[in-house]
Amino acid sequence: MKSMTDENQTWHPVALGVDVPAGVTRAVILNGTEIVLWRGADGQIRAWDDRCPHRGMRLSYGFVRGNSLNCLYHGWEYEGSSRCIRIPAHPDLEVPKTIKATAHAVHETGGLVWMNRSGTAASDPPAIAEGVPLISTAIDRPIGALRDLFRATSMHPAVIREDILDGLSLLLAMHPVSERKSMLHALTIGGSDAPADRKRYALAVRQLRQQAETMAEAA
Amino acid sequence: MARTTDKAALDNWYVLGALGDFPTHTVKGARLLGADLIVRRAGVQFQVSDEVGAKLPVEQRYGHLWTTLGAPTRPIFAMPEWDEPDRRPVYCGAVRVRASGLRVVENFLDLAHFPYVHTDILGTESKPEVARYQVEHRADVDEVWATKCEFFQPKAAASADGGQMSQYMYRVVANPFLVMLYKTPPTAPNRWDVIALFVQPVEEDLSIAHPFMLVIDETSSDAELIAFQQMIFLQDRIVLENQRPRLLPLQPGRETPTRGDLSSVIYRRWLKEKNIRFGVEEPVRLAHA
Repeated sequence: MKSMTDENQTWHPVALGVDVPAGVTRAVILNGTEIVLWRGADGQIRAWDDRCPHRGMRLSYGFVRGNSLNCLYHGWEYEGSSRCIRIPAHPDLEVPKTIKATAHAVHETGGLVWMNRSGTAASDPPAIAEGVPLISTAIDRPIGALRDLFRATSMHPAVIREDILDGLSLLLAMHPVSERKSMLHALTIGGSDAPADRKRYALAVRQLRQQAETMAEAA
Repeated sequence: MARTTDKAALDNWYVLGALGDFPTHTVKGARLLGADLIVRRAGVQFQVSDEVGAKLPVEQRYGHLWTTLGAPTRPIFAMPEWDEPDRRPVYCGAVRVRASGLRVVENFLDLAHFPYVHTDILGTESKPEVARYQVEHRADVDEVWATKCEFFQPKAAASADGGQMSQYMYRVVANPFLVMLYKTPPTAPNRWDVIALFVQPVEEDLSIAHPFMLVIDETSSDAELIAFQQMIFLQDRIVLENQRPRLLPLQPGRETPTRGDLSSVIYRRWLKEKNIRFGVEEPVRLAHA
């Protein structure tokens, strides 16, 4: 098992908030760990280990009802606090309080979902401008290489830049998927969110991705 | 991966397929416990050899081809229903599953997933309760039996017209990769349908399941029975390939059994006693031990 590294102490932007609407789950991988993001009817987002403590089934295959996430395998119901409150096979059983999914600190700001695996999230995620979400895209390059490639200007390790890049006002943030792979989350700040403009921006981000992966091949 | 050194896994008889899976006069590759095998069929004669060309023991039993890489202490298990004249053997094909074979067997023993994985077929969300049942290890035959199992099923089999309270018995024979169930059929309530799952462990986290039935059913065609069984098994596969870890953990605290998991608890205890390692997760450091 991985020891607590600096990476675990950090806030990572793992998804665009719009990609996790109420009532659905979304599976993401952070540093090789499978995570489920889900949002209940209360609008709150949660980030848990993607694993039901009962038999290890991935909770991202489960279903959200109200403010609970239910495991697909046996219907075990987890409330927002991550506690299991119902085991359908035993309707009369008072579920032991110790049965819980593994929850992580999660925070939504600037159109991004941030999570922190340190257990105690002392600080808040970085304050960034509210952006218009564009696209999340996987890139077959480690984060460090991307920071160099996109000429990082932000001090925060997860944010590459929040300014004009190649004539576009972009906010680029990213999280590590593995040692070789990253997920890039792109938003525009102050840009228009008209469909045609968003399309133009999304295309620009895809080109960045292509550029990053092509340069990797050349290197 | 090379052939396992796990004696508890090696010293068993395994199925490589139904006899019909090997057309006459063919040579076909197979893989078992990390070893590459070659199966040759000439007419009704079968020969299985390993990576270095050594011939392995071969048996034709219950319509399937069996072999072993070790020295089994017991013969292939007894299935007396095979000899009952009014039963029909149905071979349901081979399904690859990216999971430990022990997870595949454990899922086969599980009742509580019926309403969620086989929704409105083998179970329904309005009746999810698992009543108390009995599980025992029968030391004389080295088998695990779960008996007096009951579950409400909206469509218990291909031939079912409506819901029924199904009775089940489960049986894991001496080899922990071979499991069978007995179930009250909609067509003959005083007899048992037999469904077997012969798991061919390929790698620790890769298995080929060979589902097989001995049914008392004069109305459904083979195609209908196979389609039903495949639908059920493919629903199971979604779960099996998404359990983490892929290997079965035997370490206490890694997973959380509850009352209805008695079969699993006894099965895992039996696996520990056998000291089987193939398909078992290595112990890990637990966060909240």
